[in-house]
Amino acid sequence: MSDQDADAEVDVGADAETGDATGGIQFGPGQDDTGDTGPDLEAADADGRPGPTDAPGGRAPYVESPIIMTTVRVVVPFVFTFGLFVMFHGANSPGGGFQGGVIVGTVVLLLGVAFGIATTRDWIGPRIPVAVVGLGVLTFVGIGAGSVLLGGGFLEYAVYGVKDATKYGIELVELAIGAVVAGVVTGLFFAVSAGGRPGGEPE
Amino acid sequence: MSAVVPVGIIDLLATRSYYLVTFLLLGVGTYTMIASDNYVKKVIGLNLFQVGVFLFFIAAAYVDGANPPLLDEPGPYVSPLPHVLILTAIVVGVSLTAVALGLVVRIYAEYGTLDDDVVREVRADE
Amino acid sequence: MNELPALLVALPIVGSIVAFLASLVRTRSGWYVAVATLAVHTVAAVALAERVFTEGQLSYVVGGFTAPYGIELVVDGLSATMVVLVAVVSLGVLAYARVAGPRSNPFYATYLLLVTGLTGVSVTGDLFNMYVFLEILGLAAYALVASGERGESAVAGLKYLIVGTVGASLFLLGVGYAFVATGTLNMADLSVKLAEVGYTSPLVRAAFGLLVVGLFVKVAVFPLHTWQPTAYAGAPDSVSALVAALVSTVAAYALVRVTLSVFTVEFLVANPLARQLMVVAAAVSIVVGSVLAVAQTDLKRMLAYSSVSQFGLVVAAVAVTTETALTGAAIHLVGHAVMKGGLFLAVGLVAASTGTRLIAGYDGLSQRLPGAAGSVAVLALAMVGVPPAVGFVGKWYVALGAVEARAWPIAVVIFLSTLLTLAYFARLIERMYFREPPEWATDIDEAVDTDADTGGVADVATDGAGPRAVSTGMRATVLAAAVLAVLLGLAAVEYGQLLEPTVERLLS
Repeated sequence: MSDQDADAEVDVGADAETGDATGGIQFGPGQDDTGDTGPDLEAADADGRPGPTDAPGGRAPYVESPIIMTTVRVVVPFVFTFGLFVMFHGANSPGGGFQGGVIVGTVVLLLGVAFGIATTRDWIGPRIPVAVVGLGVLTFVGIGAGSVLLGGGFLEYAVYGVKDATKYGIELVELAIGAVVAGVVTGLFFAVSAGGRPGGEPE
Repeated sequence: MSAVVPVGIIDLLATRSYYLVTFLLLGVGTYTMIASDNYVKKVIGLNLFQVGVFLFFIAAAYVDGANPPLLDEPGPYVSPLPHVLILTAIVVGVSLTAVALGLVVRIYAEYGTLDDDVVREVRADE
Repeated sequence: MNELPALLVALPIVGSIVAFLASLVRTRSGWYVAVATLAVHTVAAVALAERVFTEGQLSYVVGGFTAPYGIELVVDGLSATMVVLVAVVSLGVLAYARVAGPRSNPFYATYLLLVTGLTGVSVTGDLFNMYVFLEILGLAAYALVASGERGESAVAGLKYLIVGTVGASLFLLGVGYAFVATGTLNMADLSVKLAEVGYTSPLVRAAFGLLVVGLFVKVAVFPLHTWQPTAYAGAPDSVSALVAALVSTVAAYALVRVTLSVFTVEFLVANPLARQLMVVAAAVSIVVGSVLAVAQTDLKRMLAYSSVSQFGLVVAAVAVTTETALTGAAIHLVGHAVMKGGLFLAVGLVAASTGTRLIAGYDGLSQRLPGAAGSVAVLALAMVGVPPAVGFVGKWYVALGAVEARAWPIAVVIFLSTLLTLAYFARLIERMYFREPPEWATDIDEAVDTDADTGGVADVATDGAGPRAVSTGMRATVLAAAVLAVLLGLAAVEYGQLLEPTVERLLS
């Protein structure tokens, strides 16, 4: 175990491991990533080759590229709209909730790549993905339970009194699923890029 | 997908090619999972294995010259059921990959390496 | 209430999301949400069981789309048993986990997702729906196994994930073959259509083979069991108990459902090779599981290999297909869940008090922790098969069924396995009652309150976590498991009679 510690500590920046007495790898559950106390994932991989380590806190440095930033700034609204389009068109053509949700989640990934993951995480925050996921699932279960309360079966759209209830019910469920998937993809992206968070995403 | 039984190897390759690719993918996926040391490569092998299964479903559901099952399109229609099944299975596969990669990141944070042999040695010493 | 099966599955999902969202408002609120959800869930499960056992099989189509086009939920006696078992055991482990287990909100959200998957597999009547719920259940189990604090949990979780997903993908491939053969996924419809296609056609045989092998991976039958010792040993103690008690049990239920409801007994009659292979796999699993268990030094790994052996018994009962054997299998599934769950919880209790999970550390436990030692002894004897505990009743019925079907090798193997089980459990009991506690043990007991570092020998606990506080919830749950193991044995005969119509329908 000490060999791994030595190898990984070699290239880590001086201020990376703050307050971690054992240094390097042991990553306790109490630590989170706000102080960037995680190990430097780019520092030394298994073969010992050093990676870029100059960034403060030991993250891979965010390279600011005006081309990428401008392109992303222009493209992202269209990608978002396309994601919504795919979500709405699940019934008659290829598409649906999951695919649209992944595309909408990709919007956040694009922003993260262009403007820096830490900045994007600060902008979106840890609560929004959780809230979006919760909202989506509760909408889905609400539509299902609502039809039970109105006397029909679970997810039996026809008992809702609106005209074309099946069509609108399915659309709404697709949107809810899209929200869930977008929230999950975003949350996963932030969790995995934080590096070394104990435990995977619950879903 | 023809309903005729293929005669000879050329006929088999021509008509049942999708199924051959399916089993090729299953084989490659299994080999990758067993033979690679790196955990990320094992997860990739797992994904290949699952893609093989998806290809099997889709190849079985293909109908030559058929239309989507909408009222304003003429028959014959393609059954939407296998496609929906595979969409569900793809979602399942994506979430599995997500959990697997989360675990891989955590293993790297704990052990500093993604090599299966090294991790096993370290755990044997613990 | 006709919608009870669907609501039973939807309720833990809602609970899971509420637990997840509650972390926005207040951290550490997960346990309360989980308890509330599972309490309602248990009440609903008992209501469903009562309805099914008095009025017969209940089926419900989701969304009003009639079967076989829609998804049908079918609850018969065996399903109702599983649902009640899942509800009660998960509530029990929750009572244990308040102090002992990981306490974050995502942990409880995943816990409830696991309960969703378990309930879903038990009530579904559609083959692909069963795959989806198996995967939900698997995902939650992988995440829960990896939720321990040490790196070992992550490696165990990853290994479990890879092996479990291969099994589930094989199951999916089997579903694909069955779908290509018949065009339907509803289990009742499939059983009719598969008979029409013919039980000797290669498509149907391939479907059966793949489905059964996929489920063998989930049930951990030898030689597909390698994930089980690593996963059980690497997981936190409450998770080990939950997963050991419920996940393989529900997978074994799925095996019964697939073999007997989808491919009926006629399939096994038309393909004697299939039956023989299942019998051989079961017999090898029973013997090898016990033999490997004898050789272990770590208690959780020993219990994991013991599980391999016990589930071999259930697979043997499915392969033999007599009424007595199937009743025995059902009783053994319930009994094993209670006993194995109780044993893992007891191991966790002892580890929390003394910090050890090695068999060598159990010397003289009866003097140090009399309650825990007593519970372990009762549960161990129940697993060996001492009457009137439930372990005896299950094994007896299965052995009787094997003799009725003239499958003599199974009866001999069951007898052999009982001797081997006695070997490794008697070793444990002897250590607890007839040996003196080691010198370092007394130091630990004094050091528990101060939570001091207890040094080398004692700190080899696989959880890595040292001694911590032992709550009354933990003690009460372990005691309740031991008492239940004996009570269930006494009630097993009546349960067998309740199950009779279900078993008859399964075998018709």
